[in-house]
Amino acid sequence: MSDTTVKMRDIAKDLLDKGTVDYIIGWEKGRFSNQSPPAFITSAAHVGRLIWDEYCLAGTAKYLLDDKFPTGKIGIFARGCDARAINRLIQDGQINRENIYIVGICCSGMKDPATGNTAEKCQYCTHPNPIVNDILLGDPVPETNKPERFKAIEELERLSPDEKYEYWSKQFEKCIRCYACRNVCPACNCRECFVDQYRVGWQGKQNNEDENRLFGLTRVYHIADRCIECGECARACPMGLPLMELNRKLIKDINKLFGPYEASMDTETTPPLAKYNLEDIEEFM
Amino acid sequence: MKRIGVFICHCGSNIAATVDCAKVAEAAKAFPGVFFSSDYKYMCSEPGQEFIKDSIKKYDLNAIVVASCTPRMHEHTFRKTLANGGLNPYMFEMTNLREQCSWVHSDIEKATDKAIDLVRMSVAKVAKNEELFSTTIPVHKKALVIGAGIAGMQAALDIADAGHKVVLVDREPTIGGKMPMLDKTFPTMDCSACISTPKMVEVAQHPNIELMAYSEVIEVNGFIGNFDVKIKTKAKYVDHVKCTGCGLCETKCPKKVPNEYDLGMGLRSCIYKPFPQAVPNKPVIDAQNCLKLTSGKCGVCARVCPTGAVRYDDTESFITDTFGAIVMATGYDLYKWEDVYGEYGYGKYPDVVTGLHFERMVNASGPTGGKIKRPSDGTTPKTVVFIKCVGSRDSAKAKSYCSRACCMYTAKHAHQFVDKTPEGNAYVFYMDVRTPGKAYDEFYESTLRDGAVYLRGRVSKIYQDGGKLIVKGEDSLIGKQVEVAADMVVLATAMVPSAGSRELAQAVGFLPDLNGWYQEAHPKLRPVETPTAGVFLAGTCQGPKDIPDSVAQAGAAAVKVCGLLSKSELETNPMTARTNTTVCSGCGICVSVCPYKAIQLQSITERDHHGHRITRNVASVNNGLCQGCGACTVTCRPGAIDLQGFKNDQILEEVDSLWT
Amino acid sequence: MDVIEEQKWEPKILAFCCNWCSYSGADLAGLNRMKYPENIRILRVPCSARVNPQYILRAFQKGADGVLVAGCHPGDCHYSTGNYYTRRRFLIMKRLLEYSGIDPRRFQARWVSGAEAEKFRTTVTKLCEDIKAIGPNRKLRGLK
Repeated sequence: MSDTTVKMRDIAKDLLDKGTVDYIIGWEKGRFSNQSPPAFITSAAHVGRLIWDEYCLAGTAKYLLDDKFPTGKIGIFARGCDARAINRLIQDGQINRENIYIVGICCSGMKDPATGNTAEKCQYCTHPNPIVNDILLGDPVPETNKPERFKAIEELERLSPDEKYEYWSKQFEKCIRCYACRNVCPACNCRECFVDQYRVGWQGKQNNEDENRLFGLTRVYHIADRCIECGECARACPMGLPLMELNRKLIKDINKLFGPYEASMDTETTPPLAKYNLEDIEEFM
Repeated sequence: MKRIGVFICHCGSNIAATVDCAKVAEAAKAFPGVFFSSDYKYMCSEPGQEFIKDSIKKYDLNAIVVASCTPRMHEHTFRKTLANGGLNPYMFEMTNLREQCSWVHSDIEKATDKAIDLVRMSVAKVAKNEELFSTTIPVHKKALVIGAGIAGMQAALDIADAGHKVVLVDREPTIGGKMPMLDKTFPTMDCSACISTPKMVEVAQHPNIELMAYSEVIEVNGFIGNFDVKIKTKAKYVDHVKCTGCGLCETKCPKKVPNEYDLGMGLRSCIYKPFPQAVPNKPVIDAQNCLKLTSGKCGVCARVCPTGAVRYDDTESFITDTFGAIVMATGYDLYKWEDVYGEYGYGKYPDVVTGLHFERMVNASGPTGGKIKRPSDGTTPKTVVFIKCVGSRDSAKAKSYCSRACCMYTAKHAHQFVDKTPEGNAYVFYMDVRTPGKAYDEFYESTLRDGAVYLRGRVSKIYQDGGKLIVKGEDSLIGKQVEVAADMVVLATAMVPSAGSRELAQAVGFLPDLNGWYQEAHPKLRPVETPTAGVFLAGTCQGPKDIPDSVAQAGAAAVKVCGLLSKSELETNPMTARTNTTVCSGCGICVSVCPYKAIQLQSITERDHHGHRITRNVASVNNGLCQGCGACTVTCRPGAIDLQGFKNDQILEEVDSLWT
Repeated sequence: MDVIEEQKWEPKILAFCCNWCSYSGADLAGLNRMKYPENIRILRVPCSARVNPQYILRAFQKGADGVLVAGCHPGDCHYSTGNYYTRRRFLIMKRLLEYSGIDPRRFQARWVSGAEAEKFRTTVTKLCEDIKAIGPNRKLRGLK
């Protein structure tokens, strides 16, 4: 990995020296050895901060929204998940491809800082190699479909309605409505979230199990056909809600009902819920 | 602040017999925002409407709920009452207490409770109503008809006769479509060219019709009343103003190529008119084959032309014009059976032909002078087999639909063959015989009397044996296999949408259906309109049909166009979608969902929170096109695009009110 | 809820009906004086594609015992393609509701045309009977 770190710093220095980009989003060491939070490098003198190690968990793409109308270009280090997130933001009309310079890094997975084992979000990663980039670092990592990522969902589906309800009640009781899941999610890029639409009144502000569940279920439905399975929501949740068990449920259903589909593999494919097929499954006759 | 008036109608005893109207009116007084509530015998009557108007004045009401029959009946009536009472007609909601309450329940207490709930819903909704105003869009009084076959010509003539200007476009060098290629038309056996060529001449001479032959529509922008269209006229290499149509050039041209009009069975020159009665009756040069245009040699036609009309330096030209309405009349082609039906030879047997080949053969001005001849050796066939449903009613490998005209034209062909061939044998392999029109079945019966043998069964194989084509099929009515040694086989192939029709539909802005036929707005009630307002359909482009139906449909489309063009402006429905540009992030999902292409992403310039001027996209709704379905609103996660008259906050209030 | 209240409990079911098909099918049922349970409350929308799945969650949250979404048969939508989207949306929402623990019998989507008064009647009657059998909805309401 340190080889990649050197390459990262070299490329960053090159990009900043030449003025190709105004600043670069990457990762740097945090206070502790098992932290590598996002870094924003604005001058070639600071590229020494950049690091590539097994704790570079945070997604970088969402930070592009902080500067939607840059005067120059923004450089960004992107793993597989970040590249899909960038595609997502481009297709949702939130950033322009011409405004960013993507340095792709093939990623073989990050570690969970608490346990030192492979991070949960990386266990089920299907696309570790960045599908869009201007330059690629590292050798491509073999990709697998990982059908086992639906195992937890299938187990939950087998429970009775009351048991399911009990399970989710326990989870949503924990939610503190910090909206970290929404803030970190690349598919959650609306200018004004439905939660903040107080005039329309979609959602109450009370922090009780009922409203928490409403928020959770609505957010899941909103991102259903655009979720890139980066797992950032579950990672960012301070209360440990198993959010990917909700997102993957809808992804599993979309694949089963409307044909194989993976969000954001390009910027052209219309998501399934904005399309229809005359031969869609008919349950409502 | 809303001051709501609630009026509960007895509707005589229709509602009052099952719902305690006085109790409902009393309960409504306590609903939030209600300043007046009363019941009355007949709200829709004149005194009833006066009561509403008086109450508006007396109690300074600004929103009204009438609880009576279904809104599908009197919503319009009461909207007018509000307008006459000085209020915006959209500050109104109606509660259905009759068809959906008193008429379907019998328990008075439960029905009254339900009625109170329903009124509560309407009051909650109307509290969020906004004043809505319809706008107008202008209508350009000019129609465009794309395709000049019988349907296109009829539509153009009907619109032109009504006094409107029409531009009629066809991509072939001549108008007329497929109809002049036919010999006789069923069931009356009139000569097809004799009835269609006068229409072609009428079209060419009509003062209100501008004919653009050898031209194609390449771009359409805009919307109903205002379609901006770009039309390309291909290079003719002949100046049609100077040309007199004398035809000398055709006789002198040294190079002959297969004639498309005769389906390759005859030849034409490279400077050519597709057929002698072509309209415009002036030739064009086939640039792919002309010796002068491909290699610089020859040039005979220019030398012999008495008016000097030949211009080898001609180029394609473009015009742009604005139209109020467009009629699609692009017709059909025949299914390419050679690609799929190996059992009939994949097209390698020259004596296996389509019905259209047969038409050209039997046509007196066709390549064989009206004589039915085998393409392989020119001899007269004595035994002809006709096979129906080739490419149609075949969901296994071709089209699943019935091609509608084949049963009749096969009967016609069998009749013509037997008529022209003494001791000729005609065998027709069929699955069904569909003859629904006027005098159609009688025609089929007379073909049977002529001696045509109808065998109910499919043909499994045709193969060459010496000079004969062996046709192996089945007669399912007697349960036996049959074999016919035929001299010629005529296949009744399916009609398919004409080449390029899908791309043209996309350019114009509407959708073809699963089979590529142009989709009508409603399968039963709106057969000549498309979901795109201002675009109409005529003829086989909408689906296989025969000539009488094409002409009828063309007339229907023409009437719709005239209805549209008779107005100088159109009032739009105000219950359309509307974007809150502050909330809209420009993701564009709503754009892909709209069935009417009414939403576009438009760029706006504003100051961001850093004070910089930025440009970004937001959804923008065309009120002339939006029909108010609301499909877009659900794709918008924050609800930036909302449907006026059925806004998100209105519906949420309705839902909430049931459980307050 | 005490015993006396439970005996008097009647389900309250919200039905979203599209103006052109299911709502007019309901009107036709009225015209023919067909009878069905009083538990249904119809909310008119221009097209079933107007029904946001969030309304379903809202209805359950406020206290609905059952929710019905009724639209035109696929291919017959007055707005040509609306109900194709409705179909996809509610295939997903139905499964999400079930996954979160709501009894699947509480939410139904049905195609009812403007001529199918009888179908409207039987759909509503069956839904009311099913819901009466499974009792009041306590889920999504923050009640214990």
